[in-house]
Amino acid sequence: MASASAAAAAPSKPEVLTLFRSLLRTAREFCDYNVREYVRRRTIDGFRHNKDLADPSAISAAFSDGKSQLEVAKRQAVVYSLYAPEVKSVMELKR
Amino acid sequence: MASASLSTPRLPALQSVRRARGGARQLGSLSAISGKIRLVPKIAIAKVGIAFAPILVLSRNQISCSAAKPDTLKTVQGIIAKQFSVDESTVAPETKFADLGADSLGTVEIVMALEETFRVSMRRGAENIVTVQDAADLIEKVKAGSA
Repeated sequence: MASASAAAAAPSKPEVLTLFRSLLRTAREFCDYNVREYVRRRTIDGFRHNKDLADPSAISAAFSDGKSQLEVAKRQAVVYSLYAPEVKSVMELKR
Repeated sequence: MASASLSTPRLPALQSVRRARGGARQLGSLSAISGKIRLVPKIAIAKVGIAFAPILVLSRNQISCSAAKPDTLKTVQGIIAKQFSVDESTVAPETKFADLGADSLGTVEIVMALEETFRVSMRRGAENIVTVQDAADLIEKVKAGSA
């Protein structure tokens, strides 16, 4: 993993925003309300927390971390869809 | 649409007379199966057919006039006001997202929230959104392009 983050140069701003957008889009695919909201919350918090990083290696480390999390989220979205609950969460009904 | 497939199955002999709305020919087999049973709840099935069309209850305020510009803008303003926890009156069409305290991350969040509400996919133009009006225009454009 160290070699992967060293090989990738610091990501540009559009790349970071694309990763952000992909994570939020992947969050939408979860059928479970709780997981969906958690992924949204966690990506927003995570990206805001690392908003002011200046060190390029720290930036690329955070970026590759985000990318691996995106892969995890994509896989989990598929797995969750196999066991989708029939009953919607009450938070979804209120809308 | 879904309502067409749920339209009343009738006996084949009656179909050509009663079904002025048309599109019920393909239900010949269904009417053969359920034939006499379906005579009574005609209105019930029609109502169910309408209820199936908007899948989410959320979409009720958009499903009626999706092409109307002021309605879209109002919805956009409401979403943005809620996102930034400001009063809706401060969100004018010319208000820039930066004025409301949004950085690029906040703008992406707004675009995603709008995508979700209007159920469009704003892939290409999302980078150039500066004001509230831009967002509403982009939504209109994508909706007109896909509709």
